[in-house]
Amino acid sequence: MECLLGLVGKDFVITVTDTSAIRSITVLKHNEDKTRVLSPHTLISFSGEAGDTINFSEYLQKNIQLYGIRNNIELTPAAAAHFVRRELAEALRSRNAYQANLLLSGYDKKKGPSLYWIDHLAALVQRPFAAHGYCGYYCTSMFDRYYRPNMDLEEAKDLIRKCLQELHHRFIINLPRFSVKVVDKDGIREIEL
Amino acid sequence: MDMLATNPAVHPTSTAKQAAFSPYADHGGTNLAIAGADYCILASDTRQSSGYNINTRFAPKTFKLSDKSVLATAGCQPDCNMVVTRVKHSMKGYKYTHNKEMSTPAIAQMLSIMLYQKRFFPYYDFNILGGLDEEGKGCVFCYDAVGSYERVPCNAYGSASALIQPFLDNQVRNKNQQGKEKVTEFDPVARLSIDEAMRIVKDAFTSATERDIYTGDFLQIFIVTSAGVEEQLHPLKRD
Amino acid sequence: MVGKNCVAIASDTRLGAQAMTVDMNFPKIFPMTDHTMIGLAGLATDVLTLRDQFKYKVKMYHLKEDRVMAPRTLAHVVSSTLYEKRFGPYFVEPIVAGLDPRTHEPFICCTDTIGCIDFAKDFVVVGNATENLYGMCEGLWEPNLEPEDLFETISQALLNAVDRNALAGWGAVVHVITPERVITRNLKARCD
Repeated sequence: MECLLGLVGKDFVITVTDTSAIRSITVLKHNEDKTRVLSPHTLISFSGEAGDTINFSEYLQKNIQLYGIRNNIELTPAAAAHFVRRELAEALRSRNAYQANLLLSGYDKKKGPSLYWIDHLAALVQRPFAAHGYCGYYCTSMFDRYYRPNMDLEEAKDLIRKCLQELHHRFIINLPRFSVKVVDKDGIREIEL
Repeated sequence: MDMLATNPAVHPTSTAKQAAFSPYADHGGTNLAIAGADYCILASDTRQSSGYNINTRFAPKTFKLSDKSVLATAGCQPDCNMVVTRVKHSMKGYKYTHNKEMSTPAIAQMLSIMLYQKRFFPYYDFNILGGLDEEGKGCVFCYDAVGSYERVPCNAYGSASALIQPFLDNQVRNKNQQGKEKVTEFDPVARLSIDEAMRIVKDAFTSATERDIYTGDFLQIFIVTSAGVEEQLHPLKRD
Repeated sequence: MVGKNCVAIASDTRLGAQAMTVDMNFPKIFPMTDHTMIGLAGLATDVLTLRDQFKYKVKMYHLKEDRVMAPRTLAHVVSSTLYEKRFGPYFVEPIVAGLDPRTHEPFICCTDTIGCIDFAKDFVVVGNATENLYGMCEGLWEPNLEPEDLFETISQALLNAVDRNALAGWGAVVHVITPERVITRNLKARCD
């Protein structure tokens, strides 16, 4: 039911998360933030089992921050992604697996922007665009049609708008609000569409 | 004595048992057909099996209907048999009424209706009808169990269809082969001579016999040309 | 697939979550040594885990023994790694293909998810479209193919097999390993 989207542009990554906290048939909250900042240039967005997602992403957040403090160097997005995968993969075959789907977006000063798709089984894939959950059925086809490499921010916002419009139009679940975040060389910021 | 043995309600032998009956069985076997410009080849193996048992090594499931058409059946043997009997019967009726032999496309349409009439208790039977059409061109019609059918250049049905079908796509329809003319549904005739087609048929079956336990023993080939139907029998591996 | 003094290994490039395609460029074949590659088909997470494990084991072997691991040795490493998890297996079926580092003798094998090795002299297939692949390989393969002919054979076998399977395809990659070099080619395929 939750919506997680991500898209890599020319020099930024844009991620979209819905802001509804849903339990059973009830919406508990309309302004839930489904992202955590892992490091100044790495953002993780998550969906899945309510407790697992926050517990796991905050565990990642603190450990990656600890790494930054200890070593006085930020973990690159690629390194962070592999760390996340390892943690998730080890948990998967223990008695307490995390039921969490993740998108990791980051900006590396040398390698530029990158987006990683990680599912609850700890499959890791680097993608130009990615989605989790039901919205993937609508949005991946939109991305396939309209995505180009090297999109600028306005073009990317346009495409995201198209995707959300499609969701409002066709998806049975009501997702009234979305939080849109951009990761680029200046760090992480929330933007309005 | 413990509870289980004294209480008749939970005694293992006193509970009612219902005998399971299934009206369907799968008797394995594979069929293949290729339509050419002026010929049609239908081939099938002759093994009939139930699970890991071989019922018989020679149970033909492809039947000549007329000088221009042949029907290959695979699935549940009694259902196949019934379909063939009914088709032959109707063809006889047609001949007595109209004083001419039924054409292959006409048989194709009739068979489709016959299968669809049993829509809610279908014949477990996958048919390939092959022969020559009114213009003398080779034609192959393949069916699902409830009568959907399609005219195709070549087809494989039965237990080894997954093994043979991609091979036919490649060798008969020239799929994934650059610079070779593709054979499509719009002109469903293979661009092969009879000898080339025969080689592919035999190759396909020796290959399938290697890996599919339900296919083997003998290969029965029907070659339909304007001269009539020629029948051949070749040995396959019997293991 | 085995050829004359060469072997070929090929895979499609689709990664899917059931019916939904997630990635159309997901590598499943990984080089282990100069003359050996391993192909992993199955659950993506275990593909990545095992890739890392095998890489680690091959490198450690190289450091400890000061010699390159032979494909036959790697096959047994693969087998025992998988059998360690006999009652909670990795959902991966591997293929090992390579040339012996000293004799350049071709070697291929595959195992099931718990490490039962299937040695073959001709070809091995694993994964989604196995039935289709068996049919194609039985029909097309012949002994003593030269590298270029082996490439054509394995490519045709793979492409036509995955075209008949809804869960496989979306591009393909072929590696032909010869004593001198490894030829890698990406194939265009139907994307539907």
